[in-house]
Amino acid sequence: MKVKAKLKGDIVKVKAMAKHDMTTYDQAKKKTGNSEDANFITRITASVNGKIVYEMSTSQFLAKNPIMKFQFKGAAKGDKVEMTWTDRKGNTETSKGKIK
Amino acid sequence: MQRRKFLSLSGLAAAAALAPSVQAEDFRATKPTVWTAHTVEDAITAMYGTAKATESGVTVTMPDVAANGGAVPINVTSSIDAKSVAIFQNANPEAAVAAFTIHENSVINYDLKIKLKSDGTPITVTAIVEGKDGKLYSGVKTLTVALGGCEG
Repeated sequence: MKVKAKLKGDIVKVKAMAKHDMTTYDQAKKKTGNSEDANFITRITASVNGKIVYEMSTSQFLAKNPIMKFQFKGAAKGDKVEMTWTDRKGNTETSKGKIK
Repeated sequence: MQRRKFLSLSGLAAAAALAPSVQAEDFRATKPTVWTAHTVEDAITAMYGTAKATESGVTVTMPDVAANGGAVPINVTSSIDAKSVAIFQNANPEAAVAAFTIHENSVINYDLKIKLKSDGTPITVTAIVEGKDGKLYSGVKTLTVALGGCEG
């Protein structure tokens, strides 16, 4: 996962991309014949200094390798944004990005 | 032995008490029916208990015609003092796309890329903002997709 964060005024703008196939039930059914093979990110969170600033529960309808942008307040330059995704099969990935 | 048992138990209890404040709501676990609902109205009702929303205060920005249904950009903004935000659409087999929990320092300005199935008819994307006043506010955007994104 790539995380880029930039402080502008008092708002931090974050752009992040998760590398994930995001297979929908339809796609899995076409490919393997079993819609239960679908695998997609179900949850993405971002926290700064131990506080959650972004929290999303998602469905299979995010694009492949989904890009997300969001904003939050209350952080300083040099703080780290820690983002984690969890997918349907239970895999997780955590990445950090420094606020510039 | 008893003291050790007591300590481990109290440790567990403390962890359980702490957990909700650190890790907030996972809508996939707490509201599983939202993600299997087929119509927007059903999904909103499953999420919030009612589908009645005032159409104001929420802006959904998307292109009028999306070239590639595999990655349609969407932006949702609002200045409402909110508890949560959810995005629904009526093109795909299921209606729910994403649900956000709003935290103390969150700003409601979310960009995402989503998949939209296309059959040539206009698609309606609905964003619902649940205000702290308990009311629902919605923003709606209608668009068409040239090439569908769910078929793979």
